[in-house]
Amino acid sequence: MSAPISTASRPGTAAERPPAPKFWRVWARIVLRDIKLELRSREALQAMLFYALLIIIIFSFAFEAGAELTSRVGGALLWVAFLFAGLVALDRVFLRELPEASLLGFQISPASRTALLAGKFTASFLLMIAVELLLLPLFAIFFNPPPEARWGMIILVLLAGTWALAASGTYFSALSLHTRYRALLLPLLLLPLAIPAIVAMVQATQHLLDGQGEVAYWLRLLVGFDILYTTLGLALADVVIQTE
Amino acid sequence: MASTTSQPSHAQAQVDSKARQTGWTALIILALLLMEWALVEALKIAPPISIVAKHPHKMAIYMRIFYVHVPAFMAGFTAFFVNFLASAAYLWKRSLKSDALAIAGAEVGVVFTSIGLITGPIWAKPIWGIWWTWDPRLTLTLVLWVMYVSYLMLRQLTPTNEQQPRLAAALAIFFFFDVPIDYMAIRWWRTQHPQPVLFGGANSGLDPRMATALWCGVAAFLLLAGLLFRLRYRLECDRQRIAVLRREAALRET
Repeated sequence: MSAPISTASRPGTAAERPPAPKFWRVWARIVLRDIKLELRSREALQAMLFYALLIIIIFSFAFEAGAELTSRVGGALLWVAFLFAGLVALDRVFLRELPEASLLGFQISPASRTALLAGKFTASFLLMIAVELLLLPLFAIFFNPPPEARWGMIILVLLAGTWALAASGTYFSALSLHTRYRALLLPLLLLPLAIPAIVAMVQATQHLLDGQGEVAYWLRLLVGFDILYTTLGLALADVVIQTE
Repeated sequence: MASTTSQPSHAQAQVDSKARQTGWTALIILALLLMEWALVEALKIAPPISIVAKHPHKMAIYMRIFYVHVPAFMAGFTAFFVNFLASAAYLWKRSLKSDALAIAGAEVGVVFTSIGLITGPIWAKPIWGIWWTWDPRLTLTLVLWVMYVSYLMLRQLTPTNEQQPRLAAALAIFFFFDVPIDYMAIRWWRTQHPQPVLFGGANSGLDPRMATALWCGVAAFLLLAGLLFRLRYRLECDRQRIAVLRREAALRET
């Protein structure tokens, strides 16, 4: 990684320091640990599911849901629910590390922070995808999507769109960890950045729901966003992950 | 700026500050004169021709807001670009000076982009019949404005210590790379904004008298933005110095 800032001041010569663990090992440990912790408590999973379900129900009251509405703005409704549910997950990504100061412990260890961010990203991506896949049938029940909807492609857009939110969101979650009003600041930072991704995922999903219109362009744009912000986030991981 | 490492003598410092004061006053007077001249050019000398050809002549009066609208955006976007360069420089060298430049760039940029975003609808209402439309260029500008307001929010909600410059720079880099993607996402809606008059292609270009008015405006706004920028930059440098002095005083007490 470029510019290791804090490593320079560490005492001890290179010989007596243990070798840094491999990137993928650290990554796998973080992912497995976060999944295990989540499966034990199921806190975030339940909260997100219920929250997104509530949003879908409120939407159906607010808009008088029906097949006509779904073919017009179904993609938007789906993604607004997923976006808010995703924010719940993203807000908590690094919160778990604070009470026992495990983030500080991690920073003292020679493991790379890039691997930590990558692991956190993967774990939150999987959590968001799990919630979305559970919600998709409910959406189909409540909103009567047209029969020509292409669900296989919709799941593909789901993967690319969630990747976009998780990649930039994990980065911002680390960034906003030590700020005031952390829970409020995260959407204030993430939403402006995610605008092009949101446009792309909503447009693609919409076209897939009513079975017409350009999808490839939006999917390409989404993948471009994914690649750019995954790379940029990992490159700047050392900058955003720092404790006081 | 007198650097903190070389301590000039008291007398020398006084001469320096006097010279700086004079230069500063001269620049402010120059900015005021330029503003005045740009106003005269825009309101009196520029011919009453609308840049949108199909509009009747009497509508052309509204067109004069163009001489404020375009220069304001030019100044605002320049300031945003300075913010990006300064943020990248901060991540590279970790100098607090770059951070002060970044703050100044973001704040001045938001002010001038706001002027552009306010003058736009004032023109649009009589010409298009609506205040706002989700046309690509308008949308992109609004998104840019939202991003830098979000950047200023981060600065406001982050404790002013070593953290803030680092986090703000990390955010600025992320936002900057978002602009081209935004453009690609947004351009697929139809364009209602008048086509670029400057650097636009074969049929673009202004009547020479209109060009004079426009470039006067651009010069005046850029100078004003530069003055505000410098003021904000020095304010931030002073704030940083005070923070350092405070910390030193606190250490001495303990």
